[in-house]
Parts: sequence; C-alpha cells; structure tokens
Amino acid sequence: MSETEALETHLQELRRGTVVLACLRLLRRPGYGYGLLEELNSRGFDTDANTLYPLLRRLEKQGHLTSEWNTDEARPRKFYRTSAAGSRLASALTEDLARVVSAIDALPEED
Amino acid sequence: MNATLTDRYIDAAMRTVPEKQRSDLAAELRASIGDQIDARVEAGEALEAAERAVLTDLGDPDKLAAGYTDRRLYLIGPRYYLEWWRLLKLLLWIVPACAAFGIALGQTLAGATFGQVVGATWGGVLAVVAHLFFWVTLVFALLERNDGKSPLERNALTKDGPWATWSLDRLPEPHQSGAGFADFIVLTAFLVIWAAAILWDLLIGFVPGSDLSFLDPGLWPWWIAGLFVLMAAQSLLAFLVYRKGRWTFGFAVANAAIALAVALPALWLLAQGRLLNQQLLLTLVPEDGAEVNQILAIITGFGIATIAIWAIIDGFLKARRAR
Repeated sequence: MSETEALETHLQELRRGTVVLACLRLLRRPGYGYGLLEELNSRGFDTDANTLYPLLRRLEKQGHLTSEWNTDEARPRKFYRTSAAGSRLASALTEDLARVVSAIDALPEED
Repeated sequence: MNATLTDRYIDAAMRTVPEKQRSDLAAELRASIGDQIDARVEAGEALEAAERAVLTDLGDPDKLAAGYTDRRLYLIGPRYYLEWWRLLKLLLWIVPACAAFGIALGQTLAGATFGQVVGATWGGVLAVVAHLFFWVTLVFALLERNDGKSPLERNALTKDGPWATWSLDRLPEPHQSGAGFADFIVLTAFLVIWAAAILWDLLIGFVPGSDLSFLDPGLWPWWIAGLFVLMAAQSLLAFLVYRKGRWTFGFAVANAAIALAVALPALWLLAQGRLLNQQLLLTLVPEDGAEVNQILAIITGFGIATIAIWAIIDGFLKARRAR
C-alpha cells in the first residue's frame, strides 16, 4: 500500500462518523438528498452520493430522521428532517467530538 | 433516449431490494440522479455525458442497493469467522481420518485390490473434505444472514452454548507434555500387562478347554523375544523422556523407529498367515473358519497400522509442542 493510499484509508476512517453528525445537524431544516449532498460538500464534508443515500436510509430506519415526499414541484423529492431522537444523538455526538478534539490538543506536540 | 440509461441503472439497483421498499427507493434514486444530471448540465456538460458521469460515480448498482438494504456483501463476517474456522479445523482433523479408515477397511474386507483400496479411499476422503467445507460454510453463511436482531438480543442469545462469546474461561489448557513420571509408569505397566497376556496366551491359552492360542505358536520363542526387546526399548525411551523432562525430535524419531520395528514385521507375518493362529478359528468355526480368518486378519492389520501411525504422529506432536 502506497503512502497516499494509506493516508486516504486513515482519513476515511477518521471522518466516517462526522458525516452522520453533519447530516443530523443540517437536517434540522428539512432537506432532500442532492441538496444535502451539495451543502455537505460546500461545508467541507467530502461525501459521495453512494454513501450519503444509504446513510440517510439507515438513519431514517433507526428513527433519527423522519421523511416526507414533496410533490409540489415538477420533480417529486423525498425530504428528510431530524427527529427528536436524532437531535439527542446529534448533541451526544457533538459533545463527544469536542472531547476528542480537546484530548488530541492535550497530546504531546508534533515537531 | 437519454432516460434509458438511468432507467436501466435503477432497474438493476432495484433487483435486490425487497418489494416493499422498491417504489419509494426507486423514486428517490431517480430524483437524485436527475438533480445531479441537472447540476452538471447547468455547469455546461452535454446531457448524455452528464448522465454517464453521474451513473458511473454511483458505481455498481448491486453494491448501492446493498448499502440501502443492509445486505451483507460477504459470506461469513468477522462475527462468525473465528467460530467457523475453529469448527472447520476441528472437523478436518477428525472426520477425513475416520472416513479414510472406514473406507479402506470396508474395501479391503470386500476383497478389493490394493490399487482399488487406495483409489476409493483417496476419492472418498476428497469427497468428505469437500462436503465438510460446503456444509459448514453454508450453515455459517445462513447464520450470518438470519438475524433481524439488535446486537444486544444477539448477545443474550449467544451467551451459552457453542456460540458463546469469548471469555477467559475458554483459554486453552496447557497441553500435557507427555514427559511426566506418570507417563513412564503408565506406559511400562501397560507393556507389562501386554507381555503377560501374550505369554499367557501362548503358554496357557485363553480359551478354556482348548490349548490353542490366538497368536501363532510358531512365533515362540524368537519373534516373541524380539517383540519383548522392542517393548523394553519403548519403556526405556519413556524413562529417558521423563529424565530429560520433555520430548525432543530425536526421541520422536526413536519412537517412530520402534513403532515401525513392531508394526512392519507384524504386518509381514500377518500377510504370510503366521501372526494369528489359523487353527483356532478353523477349530471353533469349522465351516467358515477360513473366511473368518481372512476378515480377522484384515481387521488386525488395519488395527496394527492405525496404532503405529498414531504412535508416530503422537511422538512428533509432543516433540513439537515441547519446543
């Protein structure tokens, strides 16, 4: 495995949970798949369509998101919104991430 | 038309999705693909190229569908892999050996030639190994897929029994070294009992009212004397192992030499009809004595060979563990 491949793998693992957190916090205002994908990427969360869509499904199945079809426009879209359980999960994840960040800050300095 | 490629993609992705979720998922996927194509077209790409690019980015439709439905894209995952491998190894140690023994014995008793016996045994063992792999893996693959349960429920289910989760109690016990004083004593006592039984058989006879022995009287005195020398050597070897405190490769080789020195002449004598007393069965079962003698000889031969092979393997296993 080359150095860049190893870096890619590690970055992927490091970021895995952050997309979930970002979705839960962004979807306090209802949003649909593609719009969310754009917003995530513009906010610096690199995400692919083929990871995001299954992720939304899973969060919905777990009850962290609710969904509703909007058929007002020419293209019907499924809108997701963070549920009460999803909000609680988001705060727990945010707190934990802050804890991890401060723990990393407390590590010995890099040279 | 430009819709065809998207239609084909969605059809392909929905093939493995359960009926219930299909229409909902298909509609959402179609809307998302449409949004992505529109974005690319707005950025100045040609419609067809945009569609191709979007669908290519989505990747293998089966894989995408698996992500939607939590379908497992592996046969046996990390949860069961170790259990699967342990069970398979255990069975592969035991079952093919038993099958080989059984097939070879059966073929020989049925009067097959040496080549036929080897062929049938080899074929049978291969079939048994293939079956073991297949069925064990099938059971575990089903187990892997058959749990719509939460991890907690699963744990409660697997706390006992063969699927128990790992705990300290399951650490393997240290193997017996086979080099204790008890090993020496037990082996020597066993050899003495054997020697006494052989002498009793030849000099007095086990069958009441008949002075015929199980072993061929022609073995007395020199073949028997040779056997006793080898038995003494076996006992001496056990004593040396005890003094050294462990088995070594050298001991294992000596052990193998003694086992072969007993088994090969015994098998040769057996083949010549000079190991077992042919007269005994001819007297006891006058009509079928000859045939019974042959069957008895085959079973005895397999017994001798199996014991010798096991003794040799056992010595080397103990030597390896003691390293």
